[in-house]
Amino acid sequence: MVENVIVFGEKPSLLIDASGLAAELLRNGMQINMIGVTLQSEEINEAARYSFNKIYVIKDSILPDQVADILSKLFNENNPRLLIGPATKTSNDILSRVAAKHNLPMLTEVISVLINGNNIIFERNILGGRAISREVTSKSIAVTVPIKKFKPFEVTQHAQIEYVAPQASRVKLLSVEEKKKGGANIEAAEIVVGVGRGFRVKEDLKLAFELANVIGAQVGCSRPIAADLKWLPEDAWIGISSKKIRPKLYIAIGISGAPQHISAVDAKVIVSINKDKNAPIFKYSDYGIVADLYQFLPILTKKLKEKIG
Amino acid sequence: MVDTAVMVKASLDANMIRVDSSGRLLIEEMPLAISEYDRNAVEEAIRIKEKFGGKVAVFSVVTWGPLTKRVNDTESVLREALAMGADEAYMVVDEKLINANPLQTAIALAAAIKKTGNYDLYLAGEASMDVISAQIAARVGVLLDLPTITFARTIELDMANKKAKVLRDLEDSLQWIETSLPAVISVTGEINKARLPMLLQIRRAFSKPLKKFTLNELGIQLPDVGHFRESIRLLTISRKNIIIEAGTLDEAAEKLISKLVEDGVIKPKM
Repeated sequence: MVENVIVFGEKPSLLIDASGLAAELLRNGMQINMIGVTLQSEEINEAARYSFNKIYVIKDSILPDQVADILSKLFNENNPRLLIGPATKTSNDILSRVAAKHNLPMLTEVISVLINGNNIIFERNILGGRAISREVTSKSIAVTVPIKKFKPFEVTQHAQIEYVAPQASRVKLLSVEEKKKGGANIEAAEIVVGVGRGFRVKEDLKLAFELANVIGAQVGCSRPIAADLKWLPEDAWIGISSKKIRPKLYIAIGISGAPQHISAVDAKVIVSINKDKNAPIFKYSDYGIVADLYQFLPILTKKLKEKIG
Repeated sequence: MVDTAVMVKASLDANMIRVDSSGRLLIEEMPLAISEYDRNAVEEAIRIKEKFGGKVAVFSVVTWGPLTKRVNDTESVLREALAMGADEAYMVVDEKLINANPLQTAIALAAAIKKTGNYDLYLAGEASMDVISAQIAARVGVLLDLPTITFARTIELDMANKKAKVLRDLEDSLQWIETSLPAVISVTGEINKARLPMLLQIRRAFSKPLKKFTLNELGIQLPDVGHFRESIRLLTISRKNIIIEAGTLDEAAEKLISKLVEDGVIKPKM
């Protein structure tokens, strides 16, 4: 039996990325007919090569209710088994609305998927990444997937593209302001150094930047550093409501380890440096150093310079 | 006058994980607390009341078991919101809602809200702290058929025109959005700094009304959507939890570097 799957991504790149979950189902032997929905036509031909039978481009729509209405209509027409989107705030909002309209359960940020007979079994992290919830679905469901979690499935066929116009929104967009960028790209970085309230003044962050320089890392931070103190721009803020990171190595310096921070870190190895031996961050770390960062960082940076240059 | 309904969750605290000797997670023994961003939603509602007058009603659904214990925990969470300055509290209590998913929780919340009256504004935190599903505001907006704005970091009300201007906080941009009222809005942690209630207010909170509803009393049934949580398991394999101890910081740094090289996450000079 061929199951219909609708994949949403506000940009073609996110559409491709989110289609990775459908590709995972293909690799698990499910036969699917995949329909894509995106909001931008730039690079749409790139997305068209990823196993989509058809891609709808919703022109000139920025507000979630407009997109949800069109997805809802496509849902009625296709009765899909799955509605998939990337784990972004925009997609999370839109998919929640569609899920509510059609009485669908929804799982945000699924990390694995399996097929068992007529059931699809998903897993997702809960409790600040310390536990995994396993959820079983026998009917239709909406899910969001973390960026770069599943590999999309590239084919040679070219999807049919159709442009659709949205209805008016119930709310009015007055203005959009791009956030100030610090130039760091912590989401794509292989090594991230995170700074927290253990730093006493903004100037002291240079200790972390010097370390980052030596090991080719990007510098991110916990919520107070970006949101309250504004020592770093918001694109450096690691947290469930801001940036999520997936580096090989994460070094948390002077960060206590709030669940909202830790949940946003999916690293192969986590190192933490904190002078409070009871800081929760140590529970989430592979290696912990209980030390004053002001004493330890200059030494670590110097040693790293000698050893890795 | 602005009447506000605030949705709050009695959430598991991820930093208070309880396990038994075999490493099994003891969800039922973990404490519940008001979900952090929901506390910001309560604070915002109280600030609005202080400015415009009106009342604040808080709503919660008991979603963790065992029921009797969790009713008490949820009552404490609601009393905390009352102590902060909310005026009345409502709780949906039903065995059928234990382990509820956001679909079911939103249905129960929307029904309880409808049962108690009409409001000008409906607020919730952007996500709960324990399961971070981030769906409740958008779902309740659909169920109440109201304009909905998520991830607000500022709300400016214009009651003369029954409108709100909301600063919506997305990953890479900020949007100013205008909506008519009533509307449903989810708030981020940046919207305000929540107050701590004073002792006197905590005492007073016990005389404020707190009412419980069952699904029957709300006149609703939960739809069968073919979905359930099979298990929750502790993620144990994930971290090594090695505290590097050494005589000097120099030695600690060297030990750490050699571990990182062993793990292949940094490369030494050839």
